[in-house]
Amino acid sequence: MTDTGVTIAERMSANATQSALELRGLGRMFGALAALADINLTVRPGERRAVLGSNGAGKTTLFNCITGDFLPTTGSIRFFGEDITAFPPQERIRRGLRRTYQISLLFTHLSVIDNVYLACRGVSRGRFSLIRPRRDEALMQSAVELVDLVHLAEVRDTIVAELSYGQQRQLEIAMALAGAPRFILFDEPAAGLSPTERRDLIEILTNLPGHMGYIIIEHDMDVALRVSESVTMMHNGRIFKEGRPEEIEDDEEVQALYLGGGHGHG
Amino acid sequence: MKRFIERRPVWSLVILIAAAFFLWLVFAIWPDSFEDFLKEDVGGWIGGDFGKQFGRALSRKKVFLSALLDGVTLAALYFLIAAGFTLIFGLMRNVNLAHGSLYLFGGYVGYEFAEWTGYWLLAFPAAFVVSAALGVLLQVLVFRRMEGEDLRQTLVTIGISIVLADVMLWIWGGDFYQILAPSWLSAPVETFLASAQKSSGEIVYLKYSSIRLVILVAAIVLGVAMWLALNRTRVGMLIRAGVDDRDMLSATGIPIQVVFVCVFAFGAGLAGIGGVVGGTFQSLAPGEDTEYLLSSLIVVIVGGMGSIPGAALGALLIGLADTLGAAYFATYAVVFKFLIMVAVLAFRPRGLLGRS
Amino acid sequence: MAVTEHPGGETARQGSGFWPSVWNAPASRWGFAAILLLIPAAAGDFWLLQVYGWTFALGIVALSLQFLGGYGGMVSLAQMTIAGFAGYMVAIFGTSSVEHISLGWPWWLNIPAAIFLAVIFGTITGALAVRTEGIYTIMITLAIAAAFFFFVNQDYVLFNGFSGFNSVLPPTLFGVDWREPTAYYYMTLFFAVLAYGVVLYVSRSPFGLALQGVRDNPRRMAALGFNVTAHRIAAYAFASVIAAVGGLLLVWSNAQVSPGTQSIDWVINILIIAVVGGMSRPIGPFIGAFIFVLLENWSETALAWVGLSPERFKLVIGLGFLAIVLWSRDGVLGIWESWRARSRRDPLTGRAPGDDA
Repeated sequence: MTDTGVTIAERMSANATQSALELRGLGRMFGALAALADINLTVRPGERRAVLGSNGAGKTTLFNCITGDFLPTTGSIRFFGEDITAFPPQERIRRGLRRTYQISLLFTHLSVIDNVYLACRGVSRGRFSLIRPRRDEALMQSAVELVDLVHLAEVRDTIVAELSYGQQRQLEIAMALAGAPRFILFDEPAAGLSPTERRDLIEILTNLPGHMGYIIIEHDMDVALRVSESVTMMHNGRIFKEGRPEEIEDDEEVQALYLGGGHGHG
Repeated sequence: MKRFIERRPVWSLVILIAAAFFLWLVFAIWPDSFEDFLKEDVGGWIGGDFGKQFGRALSRKKVFLSALLDGVTLAALYFLIAAGFTLIFGLMRNVNLAHGSLYLFGGYVGYEFAEWTGYWLLAFPAAFVVSAALGVLLQVLVFRRMEGEDLRQTLVTIGISIVLADVMLWIWGGDFYQILAPSWLSAPVETFLASAQKSSGEIVYLKYSSIRLVILVAAIVLGVAMWLALNRTRVGMLIRAGVDDRDMLSATGIPIQVVFVCVFAFGAGLAGIGGVVGGTFQSLAPGEDTEYLLSSLIVVIVGGMGSIPGAALGALLIGLADTLGAAYFATYAVVFKFLIMVAVLAFRPRGLLGRS
Repeated sequence: MAVTEHPGGETARQGSGFWPSVWNAPASRWGFAAILLLIPAAAGDFWLLQVYGWTFALGIVALSLQFLGGYGGMVSLAQMTIAGFAGYMVAIFGTSSVEHISLGWPWWLNIPAAIFLAVIFGTITGALAVRTEGIYTIMITLAIAAAFFFFVNQDYVLFNGFSGFNSVLPPTLFGVDWREPTAYYYMTLFFAVLAYGVVLYVSRSPFGLALQGVRDNPRRMAALGFNVTAHRIAAYAFASVIAAVGGLLLVWSNAQVSPGTQSIDWVINILIIAVVGGMSRPIGPFIGAFIFVLLENWSETALAWVGLSPERFKLVIGLGFLAIVLWSRDGVLGIWESWRARSRRDPLTGRAPGDDA
């Protein structure tokens, strides 16, 4: 009786203050190394947040824990109120979570449209269907639209291995937008892009529907601060500052540690 | 161990009782009532002709002891073959499906050498050297050229094993060969294990093949030596570190390719020695390359790929499954080791002592 | 563990359905189809049964391995075992000379039951094999294949031990004796074309595409919402259907099934057939099967010709297999691809048409 009472109460409170993503005391050890320690982070639905930090600050590990690529050692993850800490990756994705990868993980032997179509199929029914997709199928239509959205219409039927680096990055984004994402994790989407491609990227991100929140890891401050409304700074696996982009940009501690170029690259 | 007892008191007790019962089974003289129970009751529960036979076999301590010793000594042979296989896999991630061919080839070479020189013991170094040389060829010509291409390596070694099998059939024909141990080793010895008690009260001790016992001792010594070499020496620890992190090994400045060749040669040589042992225990014949390859595959899958203690544990389980199965369920004896493998795969896909 | 290069690009998008690509096929394909249909007019019984019929039946079993290996990256050695299992089931449920075991069910019940049970068997095999990855698959499926071989060899209650079952005949449908050479030829041709077409079609279906995704990058597939393990097991189930059909055809050709049907040698032979033919496309296994059958039937003559004993057949097979694996990444298909790429290249510039500078 108390059990169910707690669950309902939890759900009520979750609904009342519902956040898209809620991390409580998240930690991840690699052997004796704490890649993440005591991460507490709450992101509202539709919020756009940048996570900054030097290499090895734990940003990608954070993403991997959220998407379930590996399980956290301690702590809990809630996604729109639901505890997904122990869910396998595919279950999280089916609930509306998406991500892109820092190093493109694409199906290089398949065509662009097949990559996006797979992404659409993964979050819909009929994953085991033996019937070939038709051109006019709704899912294929939405795949085509996504390809157009990231300006890849011209190479729609090209094998991914033959795409340029920038095109592959754009394909990553199209795949993250498949289905009905509620929240997306972008892992350095602008890395290696030309200035024109960066402009396109910023445009795509700012034009995303308002309810679609995201976290973006980005080294290019110019991109990061233009597409986000809040910023989280990480260092050595911990969060050490949160604020609005302007605040972070002006913060002396941040500048010393990160923007000043003392740590690695800028 | 202490922690295990604290965490799982019930299981610890069960294991303790089982171990005590096992020791009693091995060392005690089975009382008549116990033998009758096995023969009449257990046989009766199962019923039928099979039940009768089963009960009769079960009630004889000699059957049990022989099967046990056969199993343990067969495990020694399995260990020799599987240890080489698992060592090579552990360090280099190479799956050498020609390992069974190295076994049979070593056996034939040992046979020829023993015949030629007249010294059984000389068969071992001969088989070791020739198989090791073949292993070096494999490593240099196949595995090094296809580093990281698991599937191609495997396919090539399958091809090589087909070719070698036919070449051996060509040279040695389809006959059975037995490598004869010297007379001072071939006579059975009386062990200290009681097998029965005569009505006069005299205790009959089990006689057992001395050669198998000597080989068992040799395999244990070798296994312990390998474990010590890997865990207590600098080179061994470096090799073990290399298993976990290849880059680290090359970063220490150790000539990694030389280490690979040496380990490969050693593993292949062990298979060759296994051939001599197998040829002495049983015999050598075409088809045994596949048979022993399969057995050692099962041993390492059960024990955990790449682990020497795992190979020992797997060899013991599979050896006992083979001989106890043959003693009590002759018809389906061959299937038991596969059942063990399936059970292990279902619950611990990486093997009993394998790391996930 | 990518098995081969995967040139899917060229055939990938010839219309999204299956039939359009068939009707638009080039004239050479139509010519080939005509030849296949007309062969019985010219070939003798031996060729129809022992060469072509055997090629199609073995090719179907190897096709199931091509599907798993080429599209799924899982090289299973249990495919011949599943085929043999289906053969045993059809002998047990249907009629054979071993009357105290065979149940004598009618064909319309017997054949579906045999295929269904073979699929269950194959799915369980797959469920065990996919618990581990990569190179373990070969070892585990080899061990399962060996276990089944040893088991049927020993078991006299259900599988009739060493001798197996004789007089396992195909049903006499439409008044035709399907073991008669011409009829057997058309029956195996029909199922070979059907299996080939189904595999080709499914390779572009959501299931097939996802399987190729799992092969290339399982982690990414999970991050797209796919259950990787379930997909792999489903692939085993699908491949089992194909293997079972091939198994029935094989058993009917000899009218018998015994432990030798799926001995370790035959388990390896199926691997050889698939690898020699090429695993990137479903035509590969049939090419491999044809080469294997030709070698099997004529290597004795060829060996005698160079003064070797006919027993050295396995040496020829082993050396040929080694040569193919060492020199081509994708069997005969790979050699064909690289030869075509070379011949298309402009002799002056060394560039293939369509290559950008």
